[in-house]
Amino acid sequence: MAPRQSTPRTALSCGEVRTSLLPARQALDIRSAAGLLALRADERVLLSERPGLYARSPATLTGVDCPLPSANGARVRAVGTVTAHAALTEGRVLQTSAHCSLPATGPDQRRPWGEYLVRPGVVEPLGKLPHEAVARGVLDGPRRGDLDVGLIADGLLTRLLRHPLLDQRPPFRSRPTRLRWAALPAAPGEGPSLERFTLAEDELRTVRLRVPEDTAAADLAALCNDLALHDWLLTNVVRMLDGIRLGAPSAEDPGAAVRALRPAVDHLLHLWMPGARVTRELAALWGPLEERPGFTRQWQAMVQRIRDQLTLHTVQAVHREAEPAP
Amino acid sequence: MTESVFRETTAEPRTQSVPLAHLSVELGHLYMEDFEAGPERLRAHFTEVRPWVEAARAAATARAGGKRARVSTCFLIDDYFTRFSTPAEVVPTLLAEAERAGLTIDYLARESGCAVTGKIPVAESVAARIVESPPPGSHGLRPPAAQTGWLANGERSPVARAPQAMKRAVGWQPPHETAARRHSVFLDVELWSDDDGDRTWSCPFLAAVWQLARLGLLRNEGEAVLTPQPHTATAGFPDRWDDLPTLLKLNDRADPFAAYRTCSVLPTRFLPVEHAVRVILDQIEVDPGALAQVADRSGKERTAVPDSVADRISYVYYAGL
Repeated sequence: MAPRQSTPRTALSCGEVRTSLLPARQALDIRSAAGLLALRADERVLLSERPGLYARSPATLTGVDCPLPSANGARVRAVGTVTAHAALTEGRVLQTSAHCSLPATGPDQRRPWGEYLVRPGVVEPLGKLPHEAVARGVLDGPRRGDLDVGLIADGLLTRLLRHPLLDQRPPFRSRPTRLRWAALPAAPGEGPSLERFTLAEDELRTVRLRVPEDTAAADLAALCNDLALHDWLLTNVVRMLDGIRLGAPSAEDPGAAVRALRPAVDHLLHLWMPGARVTRELAALWGPLEERPGFTRQWQAMVQRIRDQLTLHTVQAVHREAEPAP
Repeated sequence: MTESVFRETTAEPRTQSVPLAHLSVELGHLYMEDFEAGPERLRAHFTEVRPWVEAARAAATARAGGKRARVSTCFLIDDYFTRFSTPAEVVPTLLAEAERAGLTIDYLARESGCAVTGKIPVAESVAARIVESPPPGSHGLRPPAAQTGWLANGERSPVARAPQAMKRAVGWQPPHETAARRHSVFLDVELWSDDDGDRTWSCPFLAAVWQLARLGLLRNEGEAVLTPQPHTATAGFPDRWDDLPTLLKLNDRADPFAAYRTCSVLPTRFLPVEHAVRVILDQIEVDPGALAQVADRSGKERTAVPDSVADRISYVYYAGL
């Protein structure tokens, strides 16, 4: 067999991210986070304290040999490994993410397995990759039996959620989200762009990107983790505000709103840092989302609402105390 | 892109590099029965090995384009499966017999170092890096029913179940080698056995770890594992195997222990074990940082190194003994 080029041209990268609240009463400190994410004894968990506590597990590989999802029904078989890792932000938000890159062409036959293992995170098609159709197929969701990187992210999440460090007592009810992404090559000379960010049903988000060919899949995965984290924050704080009846006669239960909003203050409001762990080129993709719908604008409006509500309740409480009993 | 001003070392992966020769030649394994057979057995072994070592050296020189190839030799003593004699008794005999055959043993290793070195559970770490070859149809669900402690080069025969009422028993189905060319050579390797909580690693598994060490691909938290310790001639050899470093550098002027490729000269009876080693190496995801260092340095030296780790190892089998 002819020797392979060391870096085959990537025609498509895709992945899926699961974001959820860590089911533990207390947020994990950095040491416990390292314990939770130590998926391998011989590899360090990467720990970062600026601009916030962040821990990332070593990558794990899963071997796949199956058809790729595609929008036009083409059943292209592909073989290789999908990379998965987990990350914990401020000891509170757990993310698992799986991704792979696919070169434009591959061999006619499956290679010896060891040749795939020296290119972790690459899934090679047998023959030509219909990358546009496969990108649509990935974002529409795979059919049964097709490559499903979401299953791999799920598998890792399930494994982590059973960890003895977790007491399974989350401080508030939350909703996990899924973010599915696909990145196609940008036109020559063009920079990266975010083509579409879609909020679908069932807490599913899809992201379609165009990126220069030399963009590392790991950097793309970091961008998508960042998008997923902030989308999860918005989703869950919106839900929290939804759940309380603002302006309802406070005499019924004056503490209800405070109880409902407090977890946001305790656990979530300090997590908003879009683009903090994304390469400079890719962080620019936050731009269009900030313009419309304006992720940070919505976040700040909600933060303000929460603070106003809490202030109102404080004022009312003081007022009630000051009122002479009838 | 402009580099960021701010860095956090704990947030970045790092991998220690190790010096690399072109070729690591293994002059043999020593087991208790070989030693008990007396120095004649060793003498016969080294006499058989000598011409093949020269051939391996010549091949390495040819691959290096006629320049001097860096070649180191090593020898492995089994102190894991059976403990016999003492280093003070065994090692001088071994070195004398090698020298008599015109061979120099540059590095001496103990097999138990492939299981645990210092506080590092080397074998356990390598076992955790197994990524099983997926049979066709693997689409992201967990790999199909991995048999704990076993690793195969394909799909096993389905387990025969007792026939249920009204159902006919399913006939035997053959196993299938994933990389088969028409017909299968199916191999299922036992990696370890557990005995009352004590894990014993199998000979092929430790041999796979040994190959990774010789290829300079073992790391623990980014640090090199099984690094050679110097030996001072005056110190002699200890009376306990545990007092002997797991990897000892006997020749001051030796080329580096780890190499781009390995060659082992062994009696033919090792063939099944070494087939198993290939099956294991073909399914181990080695440290990507270590792999990148080898690729980078061999590229600068214009030395071709096969992609697949299993293809970096080679053997010469000689008959008899």
